[in-house]
Amino acid sequence: MTKPVNTREIILGILWEITEEERYSHVVIRETLEKYQYLEKRDRAFISRVAEGTMENLIQIDYILEQFSSVKVKDMKPFIRNLLRMSVYQLKYMDSVPDSAVCNEAVKLAQKKGFYTLKNFVNGVLRNTARKLDQVAYPDKEKTPRKYLSVTYSMPEWILKKWLAQFDFDTVETICQTMRKESPTCIRCNLSKASKEEIIQSLEAQHITVKEVPYLDYALEISDYNYLQAIDAFKDGWFQVQDVSSMLVAEVADPKWGNYCIDVCAAPGGKSLHLSDKLAGSGYVEARDLTDYKVELMRENLERTKRINMEAVKQDATVFDENSVEKADILLADLPCSGLGVMGRKPDIRYKMTEAKQQELVKIQRKILDTVWSYVKVGGTLIYSTCTIGADENQYNVKWFLDNYPFQLDSMDPYICEELRSKTTKAGYLQLLPGVHSSDGFFIARFKRIR
Amino acid sequence: MAIREIRIQGDSVLEKKCKEVKEVTPRIRELIDDMLETMYEENGVGLAAPQVGILKRIVVIDIGDGPYVLINPVIELKEGSQTGYEGCLSLPGKSGLVTRPMHVRVRAMDEDMEEFVLEGEELLARAICHECDHLDGIMYTSLVEGELYDNEELYQNEDNE
Repeated sequence: MTKPVNTREIILGILWEITEEERYSHVVIRETLEKYQYLEKRDRAFISRVAEGTMENLIQIDYILEQFSSVKVKDMKPFIRNLLRMSVYQLKYMDSVPDSAVCNEAVKLAQKKGFYTLKNFVNGVLRNTARKLDQVAYPDKEKTPRKYLSVTYSMPEWILKKWLAQFDFDTVETICQTMRKESPTCIRCNLSKASKEEIIQSLEAQHITVKEVPYLDYALEISDYNYLQAIDAFKDGWFQVQDVSSMLVAEVADPKWGNYCIDVCAAPGGKSLHLSDKLAGSGYVEARDLTDYKVELMRENLERTKRINMEAVKQDATVFDENSVEKADILLADLPCSGLGVMGRKPDIRYKMTEAKQQELVKIQRKILDTVWSYVKVGGTLIYSTCTIGADENQYNVKWFLDNYPFQLDSMDPYICEELRSKTTKAGYLQLLPGVHSSDGFFIARFKRIR
Repeated sequence: MAIREIRIQGDSVLEKKCKEVKEVTPRIRELIDDMLETMYEENGVGLAAPQVGILKRIVVIDIGDGPYVLINPVIELKEGSQTGYEGCLSLPGKSGLVTRPMHVRVRAMDEDMEEFVLEGEELLARAICHECDHLDGIMYTSLVEGELYDNEELYQNEDNE
């Protein structure tokens, strides 16, 4: 018997799209699995495991390859490079696949794709790797700590350089370690629709595993489900998928009965919905975003949760809107960022982001803040947040904002639990770090407008 | 070990019922080794003896977790169902949709004529059924639902969606 499609060939296609066409791994993997729906569970599992694993360990895999290849990884033909990468992943991380199978399949694929002349190269590198994998000398933790972290956790050195300048070595290692673990799905109970107990009961009735989460009592972790859309409590709008770090935004914003809120970059709308919940039908939340697509995304969410005090609006945050001036009691500026805090969920962010791109993002963040600050009433609150880690987009922006606009930092201690309180939260900002905190990496600052 | 020539559909040897193996002779051991090598070389996940022109009840299967050799296999239990594409080394480059049991239990002899039981799900169950059918002269093409596709066409259709 034969199988009509070769799973390894499919994986190569996925890696090609991610590494050569700059697409995101979670999107490419999902699309590919949808395309090959007729594949068996086992093949589907193999495809996602190898594709995800290869991407998560890319720097380490390239390091290993360079021990055994006379050609530098960056100088290889893209097809051969990705073929070798996915093969090394299987050699190192998948005991269930025999080494000989890995080498044979790789050689056959190289041949099939017309790389006859490179057949011996592929075979040589992989057989050598298989034989000497245990003898690879990895960078030393004491002598070259940055290189050690980079190769062990496949984290680019420029990111580590910035983090090591800001945090101690152990903290950085903890962040890297935690990002390798699978991040659970976190949900926010929509307490205006149902009580936490009712929600847990409904989830458990569908055999979904539910766990409590630190920091907020209405946040839960769920696992053992297939599709979100098949969960009754989700269909009824009883909960929203949202990381606990992102829930802290509305918590720290602390909306009061009747407040007018503007969320300038709102899609997909989790934080706006949360504010709207807290307002319990009073006040108003204007959830803005740039494109029709994003606004439509939010409207779907609104439809499902049946709001009366919230609207999704198309409005570019970098374009000044005169009608909004001094209108907002609360303004959320959860801005586009490098996303280094959510690498646990999207592993390839780290390879796509560069220092130059990060500097561009800082410019956009400042441009937006410069455009929207005046929408806040005097005495009103502005919450600045990002899902990233590092001073450039967080602490430095806070300082820049304070230096240039009539705002001061405002303590967030009244709104957060004891565990999260620190000197910086007392001052008015919080950098959440995966592993140090039980959440994604996230940054929140609370400002009050004084003039 | 050697690679043997695979018989292609139309060859009458693929339509005959195979005979039980009474004893594993050195020649049969050699046949089994050759069948494995041929299957691996051709990227198959299973091969039955009639496919290399030998009318004996022997099949080899490897879906990726190591080889199984089944002599005189008898499927004792079929449960559930799965519908999916399969192909055959005796009809290269083609595949079609076939419904097979999700779970099977097969009793067979190993190369030392010791009896054993193998249970398989999904792909393994499919491969066991496909190969055992060969021993009774049945090709999967008689079970295909709808058309028989060219594999290239199958890839392309998917790409156009």
